[in-house]
Amino acid sequence: MSTAEARQARRSERLNWRIRLRRDRTLLIMTVPSIVLLLVFNYAPLFGIVTAFQYYDPLIGVRHSDWAGLDQFTRLLDDPVFWQTLKNTIYLSFVQLILFFPIPIALALLLNTVISERIRNFFQSIVYLPHFFSWVLTITIFQQMLGGAGVLNHFLRTHDIGTWDIMTNPDTFALLVTSQAVWKEAGWGIIIFLAALAAINSELYEAAAADGAGRWRRMWHITLPGLRGVIILMLVLRLGNALSVGFEQFLIQRAAVGHDAADVLDTFSFYYGIATNDYSYGAAAGLFKSVISLLLIWGANKLAHAFGEDGLYRK
Amino acid sequence: MTNELNRRSFVGKAASVAGAAALAPLLSACGGGGDRQTGANSESGLKKALPAYVPSTSLKPDIPSVSNGPDAATDPGFLHYPTEHPTTVSGVPGKGGKYTAVTPLWGTVPPPGNSFYQAMNKALGVDLTIKPADGNNYATIVPTMTAAKRLPDWIQLPTWWNAAFSVGQLAGSQLADLTPYLSGDKIKKYPNLAAIPSGAWQVGAWGNKLYGIPGGSTRFATAGTVFYRRDVLEPKGITADDVRSADDLMSLGKELTDAKRGVWAFDQVWTYLFPSWDVPATWKIEDGKLVHKYELPQFLEALDWHHKLAKAGYMHPDALADTPSNTRFYSGKVLIVGGGTGTWNLADYQSGTAANKSYRRDAFNYIAADGKSKPRAFMGGSTSIVSYLNANLKPRQIEELLAVADYLAAPYGSREYTMVNFGVEGVHHTMKDGAPAATDAGKKYVQPTTYGFLAQPPGVISNQGAPVVTKDYAAWQAANVKALYKPVFWNMNISMPQSIATALAAQTVEDTIMDCTRGKKKVSDVQAAITSWKSSSGQRLKNWMTDNVLDKYGTGQ
Repeated sequence: MSTAEARQARRSERLNWRIRLRRDRTLLIMTVPSIVLLLVFNYAPLFGIVTAFQYYDPLIGVRHSDWAGLDQFTRLLDDPVFWQTLKNTIYLSFVQLILFFPIPIALALLLNTVISERIRNFFQSIVYLPHFFSWVLTITIFQQMLGGAGVLNHFLRTHDIGTWDIMTNPDTFALLVTSQAVWKEAGWGIIIFLAALAAINSELYEAAAADGAGRWRRMWHITLPGLRGVIILMLVLRLGNALSVGFEQFLIQRAAVGHDAADVLDTFSFYYGIATNDYSYGAAAGLFKSVISLLLIWGANKLAHAFGEDGLYRK
Repeated sequence: MTNELNRRSFVGKAASVAGAAALAPLLSACGGGGDRQTGANSESGLKKALPAYVPSTSLKPDIPSVSNGPDAATDPGFLHYPTEHPTTVSGVPGKGGKYTAVTPLWGTVPPPGNSFYQAMNKALGVDLTIKPADGNNYATIVPTMTAAKRLPDWIQLPTWWNAAFSVGQLAGSQLADLTPYLSGDKIKKYPNLAAIPSGAWQVGAWGNKLYGIPGGSTRFATAGTVFYRRDVLEPKGITADDVRSADDLMSLGKELTDAKRGVWAFDQVWTYLFPSWDVPATWKIEDGKLVHKYELPQFLEALDWHHKLAKAGYMHPDALADTPSNTRFYSGKVLIVGGGTGTWNLADYQSGTAANKSYRRDAFNYIAADGKSKPRAFMGGSTSIVSYLNANLKPRQIEELLAVADYLAAPYGSREYTMVNFGVEGVHHTMKDGAPAATDAGKKYVQPTTYGFLAQPPGVISNQGAPVVTKDYAAWQAANVKALYKPVFWNMNISMPQSIATALAAQTVEDTIMDCTRGKKKVSDVQAAITSWKSSSGQRLKNWMTDNVLDKYGTGQ
C-alpha cells in the first residue's frame, strides 16, 4: 500500500468514526445515564477495596488508617468459620445449579406449548407474582405453612402423625432454601427463555412436522438448539455469581437452622465484619469472594468460547 | 413505658440492633495503636467529675420510688397525668443563639419550621434547628460527619453505637468537655439536670470527664425479665410467687404446653433468664481476678437448662425458628416470654387487649435457679440515649445549650414537660379527662421524638388510660429492686483496639450459644467453641482488660 493510499484509508476511517458517532448520537446519549450510574455506584466504590489491606477506622478515614498488608487475609485463611462458610456457599450454589437452574427452562418450554393466549397469560402472571414478594414475606409464608406450628404440622399433630421438621433442620437447609428460591424466582426466570423461544423461526417447526418429526424430535432438534445460546449465557452468568447465593434469605433463617448451616460468604462479611465494626476483615472476605467470582466468570466464558458459543460477548 | 416520648418504636428497632451488646458494659472500639486512652473512669476520678444529684420535688407521684442504695431504685408511678403543671424553669433559658442539632428518628420526619418547632424555639429562646436523620441509617450517617470533623452543635449518639462512632476518640477532640460546667455543685445552676441520677451521667463520662447529657434514664435498668400471661395463668392458680426456681419454670412448661391446641408454654427466654444462675453480664471478679462469664461453671448449667427446655418441646416451634414473638404472646399461643421491660407499656396493653379483652401482662420475680440462693439480677446501663455538644462551641454557647437542656429535662407533668411532649394546648393537644390528647398537628409535629433525644427527665411509669399497667409494673419493680446489683464496670465506657473488641464480641461463641438454646447444638459444642475462642483471642481480651482497665482504674465502682 502506498503512503497516499494509507493516508486515504486512515482518513476514511476517521470519517467513518465521525459518521458513526453522528449516526449513533441519540443512542449514545441514551446510554450516558446508565454509564454515569455504573461509574458512581459500581466503579467509584471500588476504591473502598483499599480498606481490606488496612486496619480501617472510620473515624480517621481511609487515608490515615494503619496499613495492614495482607494481615486481614492471613486471618481470614486461618479462620475455621470462614472455611465452613465457603464450604456452605459452594454446596448451596451447587444444589441451586442442579435443582434450580433447569426449572425456568422447563417452565418456559411448558408455557410455550400452551396455545390459548388467555390461559398462558394467566399462568404466567401467577408464576411471576412471587418474584415481587420480599424474602421476609416469602419465608413467613413458608413458616406459616411448613413451620413447626404451621398448617402442615398442625394437621399432622392433631391426627397423631409425627411432626415433620422442615424449617429448622440444618441437614435439609440447602433443599429448603432452593425450594424457596424456586417458588419465588423460577417464574421470573422464564422471561428470557420465553423471549428466546419466540425468536425461533416457526417455519422450522412446520417443515419438521411436514417431514414427520414428532413432538420430542422437534424439541430435541429445533427448540433446544435454538435455546442453547441463551442457556449457555445464563450458565456463564450463574457461574460468575456462584459465590452469591443470596443474603436476606440466609440472614433471616440463620437463627432457625444455626450459623453452621446458614452462614454464606455475604452473611459472613456482615456478621464478622460489619456487625462487630471489623470493617477491614469484612472487606477482605468480600474481596476474596470477588476475585474468585471474577476467575469463575472468566473461566466459564473461555469454556463457552471453546465450545463455539457466544458466552458473554462474541469473540 | 416510662414517659410519653415515642420511645417504644425506637426501642423495638434498637433491640434488634443492639441485642446482647446493650447488656454488656458500654464499649467502644478504636482501631490501630494501643497507646490511645481507654476512656475508662476510675472511682476517685469519676467522683470528682460527677455532678451532684438533687432529686426533683415539684410533683408527688401516686406510687413513690423505692430505693436500694443510691444507684438502684424503682421508677415513680403516675396513675394519671398531673392536673397541676408547676413551672420549673423561670423565664426563657436561651439568649437567642443559633444552633443545629442532629437526632435519629425512626418514623416520618416532621417538616422543618413547623408550628411545634416554632413554639419550642420561642419557649427556649434560641433558634434551634433540629435535623432528624433516619434512625435505620444513623450508624452510617454519623461517621461521615465525624470523619469530616463537621459535627452539628448538638448531636445524639446512642450508646449501642459507641464503637461504631468511636465516641471514645471523639470525646476530647470533637465533643465538648462539660466537666467545668456541671461537676459537683456547679450543676445546681440547672436544677432539672441535677435531678438526673449519677448513673446516667456516668454513661456519658469518658476518661474521668463529663461529655454526654443523658436522655431518658432509669435507676431500674435491667437486661429485662421473664413475662407471663397473668390472665391465663391466674385462673389456673399460678401466681408469680409460685415460681422460685428453674425447676418450677420447667414444670410450668410441662403443665402449660398443649401442642395439639397450638399452645406452647415458652417463647425465647435465654437472654433474660440466664442471670438467674448468677451469671454476670460479662465479667466477674473472683479472688481479685477477672473472670469471663464463659469460664463459669454456672454458665454451662444455665445453657444446659435452656437446651433441655427446647428439647423437651415446651418452646413454640416458631420461637425455635426465631420469628418475632409479639403476636404469639397476644394470641396466647405462648404464655411465657422473655423481654426488655420497655415492652411493658400502654401500646402493649392496647395491642394485647385488642387480641383478647382480658389480656394482662405480668412478670415473674427474679429467681435464683437453685431456688435457695438470694435472687440476683445485674443492672444494665442507666441510659442508652446520650447527646453531646460540639467542642468548637464557645463557653457562653455551651452554657446557653445547657440551659436549654435543663428546660428539656423538666420533670414529668411540669409546664415545660407538657410543652416538650405535647406542644401548645389548643394547637397540638387538647386536655381530655385531665390528660393531654394529641390533635392531628400534635401527631404530626410533636409525637415524632426529636427534643427527647437531646435531654430528658429521669423516667417515670405512666400509661394514660391504663392504670393497671402502671400498677402492675410498679409493683413488680418494688418487689424486685432488692435483687438488683451493679456488675463489674457498670456504666463504664471502655474504648478498645479492634482485635480486642472482636474478641469481646465473640461472635462464634454467641452464635453457638443461641443454637444451643434452640436445641440445635449441644452444651459440649458451646464448650468447644469457648475453648477455641479462649485460645485464639479470649485470653488476650482478659489480659488486655486486666492490664488496661482493672489494674489502672479498678472496676469503676
